Amino acid sequence: MTVEKPRPAAPVTSRTGTLLQDSRGYQVFRVANVVVLLGVVAVTLYPFLMIIARSFSSDTAIRSGQVNLLPVGFNLTTYELVMSDAMFWTNYKNTVIYTVVATAIAIVLTTCYAYVISKHHLRGRTVLIGIAVFTMFFNGGLIPNYVLITSLGLKNTLWAIVLPNAISVFNLLVMKSFFENLPRDLEEAAQIDGLGTYRILWKIVIPLSKAVLATMVLFYAVSFWNSWFAAFLYMDRSELFPVTVYLRNLIAGSSSAQSTGAAVADVAQVSANIQSVTMVLTVLPILCVYPFVQRYFVSGVMLGSVKG
Amino acid sequence: MSPRTTPARAGLAAVAALALTLTACSGGSDDGDGSSGLDNRTGAMEDYGVGDQFTATEPLTFSMLFSDHPNYPSKSDWLLWSEITERTGVTVEPTLVPMSDYEQKRSLLIGAGDAPTLIAKTYPGQEEAFVSSGAILPVSDYVELMPHYQAKVAEWGLEDNIDQLRQADGKYYVLPGLHEAPWQDYSIAMRTDVLADLGLDVPTSWDEFRDTLEAVQEANPGEYPFSDRFSDGYPAGSFLNVAALGFGTSAGWGYDNATWDDDAGEFVATATTPEYRALVEYVHDLVADGLMDPESFTQDDDTAIQKFVTGRSAAISANAQSVVNDYEPGLAANDPEATVAKIPFPCGDAGCVLNPVSQLENGLMINADAADSPDFVAMMQFVDWLFYSDEGQEFVKWGVEGTTFDKADDGTRTLAADVDFVGLNPGAPKHLQKDFGFSGGNVAYGGTTDLLWSTFSDAEIAFQESIADYDMIDLAPPAPLDELEVEQITLIDTTLRDAVSQGTVQFILGQRDLSEWDAFVADLESKGATQYVDIVNGARERYVAENG
Repeated sequence: MTVEKPRPAAPVTSRTGTLLQDSRGYQVFRVANVVVLLGVVAVTLYPFLMIIARSFSSDTAIRSGQVNLLPVGFNLTTYELVMSDAMFWTNYKNTVIYTVVATAIAIVLTTCYAYVISKHHLRGRTVLIGIAVFTMFFNGGLIPNYVLITSLGLKNTLWAIVLPNAISVFNLLVMKSFFENLPRDLEEAAQIDGLGTYRILWKIVIPLSKAVLATMVLFYAVSFWNSWFAAFLYMDRSELFPVTVYLRNLIAGSSSAQSTGAAVADVAQVSANIQSVTMVLTVLPILCVYPFVQRYFVSGVMLGSVKG
Repeated sequence: MSPRTTPARAGLAAVAALALTLTACSGGSDDGDGSSGLDNRTGAMEDYGVGDQFTATEPLTFSMLFSDHPNYPSKSDWLLWSEITERTGVTVEPTLVPMSDYEQKRSLLIGAGDAPTLIAKTYPGQEEAFVSSGAILPVSDYVELMPHYQAKVAEWGLEDNIDQLRQADGKYYVLPGLHEAPWQDYSIAMRTDVLADLGLDVPTSWDEFRDTLEAVQEANPGEYPFSDRFSDGYPAGSFLNVAALGFGTSAGWGYDNATWDDDAGEFVATATTPEYRALVEYVHDLVADGLMDPESFTQDDDTAIQKFVTGRSAAISANAQSVVNDYEPGLAANDPEATVAKIPFPCGDAGCVLNPVSQLENGLMINADAADSPDFVAMMQFVDWLFYSDEGQEFVKWGVEGTTFDKADDGTRTLAADVDFVGLNPGAPKHLQKDFGFSGGNVAYGGTTDLLWSTFSDAEIAFQESIADYDMIDLAPPAPLDELEVEQITLIDTTLRDAVSQGTVQFILGQRDLSEWDAFVADLESKGATQYVDIVNGARERYVAENG
């Protein structure tokens, strides 16, 4: 469809693409819409920009309250300092490994599970769904989980982080819904042509499911990247921690000790600019993933949510 | 902002509750038999006494839960570890837990029966959640193995403090760090240059403190001269805690629902006492007269610090470290002439007093399973040497003489030229905590006043000297609760604390008129204040009947 380019003085192209004049009410709405959304953008971006400004500022300037949206006492030494900490990079590497491995395993398992329970003719399907949904409402609790992971010999290994969280029931249900909406005729046609269940999944269903797969990759990757609790529970050595545990200790450690009136040696005084630099470096990669997956993101979620 | 308080504390409570229920089933085998470990003498020294260096007769290894500090994360090649092995023949295997969530993981490990032998960084009182599970060793049964510990308790007169640790069974379960004298770190910091410009003396009492604030405000109208911080966990928690001492009560961080009334010979509900009311009225007047920023009770630390360092306020709560790290650098950036110092601890109607509770520091719990280990006696001797001998305490704080520090003939310690710590040797390439592991906080606590002050700045020593001759308030007598009473108290305690905290702030801020005080007291009583003190008084009477 081609849209005729309006002349400067001509009426604005309406949302339907014709040269109709938008109603006054709609114009007002659009202006209000833009203003409100710009406000939301400002509120959302402000903390990010402030953290970035602080990361380039001197600690004294931050402590004396001079830093807002622009760096004061611009310097790169804090970046050099944080990046020269070997443990930071070790933990960073762990985060990348945990995220990649965990996401890969989670995608395979979730896809397989979702595909199976999307088949209405499967006997015992409701039981399989029930088992999954049950875990949304009930779980064993912290200590039993810890005892289980420890007895299985998973403590201090990658698997303690990957396996317990390999299937997110929410993601599973989104995917199931998506698979249910794929035309059955396609699969039946493939069946007539002689394809078995696994090859139908691999050759027909997966290629048609890029949108939802991309969405799931994003969901899983972000949640594994941000997660710290599993690692905190099941890892006993700092060289096994992901960078989120490193970051949490850096930020949360500084306020916890003071609140209990703890003694001098307890009180972590991590410079505000070191905290900021670590935050920026930690969120940067996962932030970069978003633009690449975003175009799948909306369509993926929508596809899964509407049942036709 | 308090990034950790709510989820962490909630999680902690949940884990501690689970720890109780789960391990109650499996633990407890050693409780009744206090002497079971005494024959387990593998590696132990035969004649180990005060002044002796503990050295295991054969190589031993003990696991230890270790709170990992973000500023000086643990390294396996620390001189601390190798030197411990060198001197004692003991290898310590640390289980590292990020400091940010140390308590939660500690509860989890104890609850799951997976705790290391030595559980460091346990503040007196924190062990109570684990006592009934039987997972923690009743250390009081074994202190005869610890000559240095016993000697310090006797020499520094800490028996009453130790009695406070006893549980309903008369035993105690935590080995606290011991200070020779009470140590008061938190106080109020003031802009001493502002006081000097106005010709004001540093206030020594709470009345003078108010007068000083008034004078500062007259010279600087439109601003609040006192804008406070440390509201994490309790609104203006440090200030109320500090001020309460002078008023003869407890509040803020140090608030306790029951206070011992010496005249009546029983515990009374703290917030219903006239002393507590006097404190609330004092702070209320500060706020009502515009001397104290009403935001003191809600703002985060950074906001309060910024008001102070930009000259909008002239007083703020402080500890030694916050003066050096938070206030001085910020002030220097805004006003090179500005000076700041902690004021001597203000006196009140109750006199110039300190709380002797501060003589007990965080210490360690021991896994109950340790008593069955063949090297149990050696382990207790090791703990005794490392935590309680003069040599051990100096070693974990200052390191190795000739390497990290030097000692003059008069006993003065100085850091080696290439080692820095708390800014004593600025620019030195190595750091006592980061590169060597000393002064770390997991083992380096307590000791003589000489040792404690050895790393203080001149300003801090001046502050400590200014309060050295203060009186001690009397400790409340022991009233250990049994298991059922602990459960009952736990149900009331938080509700009561919240009601007190809320009411206190409402009265202070003027949201509730002080004429409603009686209604407030009645409300507390209906929320369980009476039941609370009844339980504590009952426990007290039982303790007296059983122990005299």
